[in-house]
Amino acid sequence: MVDETILREKAREVLARDDVRRLIGWKRGTYGYESAPAVLKDASQADELIFDPTCVQNPASFITLEEKLPVPRGQDPDTRKVAVLVKGCDSRAVVQQLVEKAYTRDGVIVLGVPCTGVVDRRKAQKMFGDTSEPVMIKEEGDKFVFIIDGETREGPRAELLADKCVRCRFPNPLVYDELVADEVAVWGADEFADVDEFEKMSPPEKWKFWEEQFSKCIRCYSCRNVCPMCYCLECVVTKQKPQWTRRSTDVSENTAYHIQRAWHLSGRCIECGECERVCPVDIPITTLNRKMTRDVKELFSYEPGVDVEAEPLLSCYNPQDPEEYIM
Amino acid sequence: MSSRRPKIGVYVCHCGINIGSVVDVPAVVEYASSLPGVAIAREYTYMCSDPGQNLVKEDIKTSGLNRVIVASCSPRMHEPTFRKTLKEAGLNPYFLEMANIREQCSWVHEDHAEATEKAKKLVEAAVAKALVLEALEEKEVDVIPSCLVIGAGIAGIQAALDIADAGFKVYVVEKTPSVGGHMSQLDKTFPTLDCSACILTPKMVDVANHPNIELMTYSQVEAVEGYVGNFKATIRKKARYVDVSKCTGCGVCAENCRLAGRIPSEFDENIGMRSAIYLPFPQAVPAKYTIDPERCLQLSKGKCGKEGPACAEACTAGAVNFEQEDELVDIECGTIIVATGYDVFDAARKPEYAWSDYANVITGLEFERLVSASGPTGGKPLLGRDKKGEGGYLPQKVAFIHCVGSRDKSVGNEYCSRVCCMYLAKQAHLIRDKLPEADITVYYMDVRAFGKGFEEFYDRVRREGVRYVRGNPSEVFKKNADPEDHTLIVKVEDTLTAQALEAEHDMVVLGVGLEPRHDVREIIDLFKLSQSTDGFFMEAHPKLRPVDTASDGIFLAGCCQGPKDIPDTVAQAKGAASSALILIASGKVNVEAQVSFVTSSECRGCGFCVEVCPFGAIELVDENRMGNIVKVALVNEALCKGCGSCAAACLSGAIQPRSFKDEQILPQIAVLGVRT
Repeated sequence: MVDETILREKAREVLARDDVRRLIGWKRGTYGYESAPAVLKDASQADELIFDPTCVQNPASFITLEEKLPVPRGQDPDTRKVAVLVKGCDSRAVVQQLVEKAYTRDGVIVLGVPCTGVVDRRKAQKMFGDTSEPVMIKEEGDKFVFIIDGETREGPRAELLADKCVRCRFPNPLVYDELVADEVAVWGADEFADVDEFEKMSPPEKWKFWEEQFSKCIRCYSCRNVCPMCYCLECVVTKQKPQWTRRSTDVSENTAYHIQRAWHLSGRCIECGECERVCPVDIPITTLNRKMTRDVKELFSYEPGVDVEAEPLLSCYNPQDPEEYIM
Repeated sequence: MSSRRPKIGVYVCHCGINIGSVVDVPAVVEYASSLPGVAIAREYTYMCSDPGQNLVKEDIKTSGLNRVIVASCSPRMHEPTFRKTLKEAGLNPYFLEMANIREQCSWVHEDHAEATEKAKKLVEAAVAKALVLEALEEKEVDVIPSCLVIGAGIAGIQAALDIADAGFKVYVVEKTPSVGGHMSQLDKTFPTLDCSACILTPKMVDVANHPNIELMTYSQVEAVEGYVGNFKATIRKKARYVDVSKCTGCGVCAENCRLAGRIPSEFDENIGMRSAIYLPFPQAVPAKYTIDPERCLQLSKGKCGKEGPACAEACTAGAVNFEQEDELVDIECGTIIVATGYDVFDAARKPEYAWSDYANVITGLEFERLVSASGPTGGKPLLGRDKKGEGGYLPQKVAFIHCVGSRDKSVGNEYCSRVCCMYLAKQAHLIRDKLPEADITVYYMDVRAFGKGFEEFYDRVRREGVRYVRGNPSEVFKKNADPEDHTLIVKVEDTLTAQALEAEHDMVVLGVGLEPRHDVREIIDLFKLSQSTDGFFMEAHPKLRPVDTASDGIFLAGCCQGPKDIPDTVAQAKGAASSALILIASGKVNVEAQVSFVTSSECRGCGFCVEVCPFGAIELVDENRMGNIVKVALVNEALCKGCGSCAAACLSGAIQPRSFKDEQILPQIAVLGVRT
């Protein structure tokens, strides 16, 4: 269990450093079952930070998002470090970003937060309904205790955990400069049961399923924007020359977009589930990504986001790589 | 020019009957003329011929064509030809697109109708790309009039001498303390039986004394950067611990060395002994002594006897200097010749021949030292000498085994080493010469006596009473455990009589093959070379560019490119020298215009392109984005070959080769992807 006083104390220390520009973490949300991401610039703001089962967001998404604003004449660019709080799953994004040299290890300070699982907003809404006030959640044994609109409610942990937490193999951060709490025991295992289940469908059934899902897509690109691995300076979907996908939201272009995104994340997706979480029309995006993840694992024995020393799968060549799928 | 509307000319080649007998060329022409943008479509028997090229030129001039498609062979074959044609007609040569309907169509398909359909598609795809081709400008760079030669065996020596004789500066870098390479270890050379040293040593002296040659022995290339015409190399001159300006080569130091005669001599293939301060062989060039830092007591242990190093004391010239340090030298050169040579096959990898176990099983190269007049036995093929090099016996029944480590998949070498058949014949002759009574048997798979005078020599050796038995021995073992009995049994099947033999011999010479050097990887990394499947360096084209590499300005000479004998090595060295001289003498070189370019606004500076570039053509540089300093990739256009590895590695799609941009390839794929 994370002691928020210690968390804030550590954050304060880091923010007080001369070589730190900002710290990314979580703060209380404005409504509902999720916290909000916090970007702090000053040690005095550290008390805003929280960590509890509402902290579902992946703060690593924000590290690469910072816009490089014009530097006024006569001033030096701000090259100070960025500090970030990460759960185990979030830390895989940091690992993969380091593997892809999105930034250098020296450029970030990683505060690791061992995590025992977060609540899935959709599951909670189903159980307790919506609210316009921020909900407080605490974990107590095998239950989550909610305070919703001043009322205390309870629900079983197993039914409320986010899917990614149910199969979580990395509750403890894989990369960090400092941990803010003691490491926790691993409870999950991942046998890709969901992918197996999905693959039981026949090709026409699958096609029908995805056609239905993709026809809902409004191409808001929330999934891309929230993805910690989508940080190209110019995204392929906005490229005009050549134009890979048209901007119209019909099922054909939507399908092209989602397949493209799945391919671009193959060997890179670290399964934080953010894409699916933010989808306003509830498309099960992680199912696509997890199929790719399993293929990559089976074909190349490669798992992204676990080894800082690894090379990116698609940028390295091994003569022993299987080629059956080419011919 | 690019702003004008595309007016495309399509020329479909029959290539004699190479294409015409499979593909219906008139049908392809008719199809092509219906495609958008195509103004003219023609066929011709040989497009690459003079009349064929004139057809294109005429059309460009009279009909105002501004894009040309030649549907014929692989662009590797004739793209340069037709680019020249366009240039001569006043059109930018990069407005050419080739459709390969020979290698990728007529040669590989039997069904004529389908092959014709495919040829149409390939032409249509070429038209789709031609519509979006861009004019590219070739750049011209100056060539520094000098050459760096790596390796001073016979190949390096010959190449260096030729360029130096033409009047240009040559830097020769040799890893070992002396020039000469493997050839200096050989006794006689086949088939003429010239003394190897007699024909080599004058050249060794020349290379050291030539006013245009700067010889750096006991040196290694540490780093190379730059591009054709403008290479910069850093060379490490390793410390000899002997002041070469003072050393007179008298040899008193070696006589006084505490380890004199106790260190196996590399030059003598460990049959002879040397001191820790040594001259590899008497005719070494330069005739300057070198201290082996790993063996020298003073250098490795910090202490040599009670009175200090005896060599330093004995040297009247005061040349020994234990304080000497490696020296780094930077040089600039326009061309590079890689002549790094080979390693002989390690006979220990064929344990069935027991080379590691028995002193009287020796390799061909050991045999050379054993029969050399300057070798440790003074030319007598003495075996079984004691540690002091005394005693020993002369063999009476000698066996030679062919193809040890060549033509042998089990050791990974499928190739023929090209020299073993003949050197074993020569060695059999030498044994006959030195031991007229000896019984000599050669075990062979085939005898490949292909060169000038080879067959005659092989015939002569057989007439001298050397028995050739066709069979590949399976095992060599000792007849009994008695240390005084040197008899070995060679187990073999005579495949001509189908008889299993167990022949007795008291000396077995293994015809070890030639292999890529053990440190070949370092050289590859240094010069960005590529390897053929056999592990030797790959030439740019196996037939038409045998001394060039894929990197412009870098040439190959000698056995580093593949096994060859001395005359072939010399010929190739002269070829490499003349190729280098073409660049040096003309002083200018055009560099490839189909190079990669970076869209720096999309580049996030991860540097994966830098890592994968086989030519070292990309570097990360600082870019000022409104006051923020960011890293972006920059392509050195003189080094880039347009291979596209960078584009494949780039996660952001920020780097692409010109003429193979996504927006140029996609229309092609779109055409090919549509079913008809």
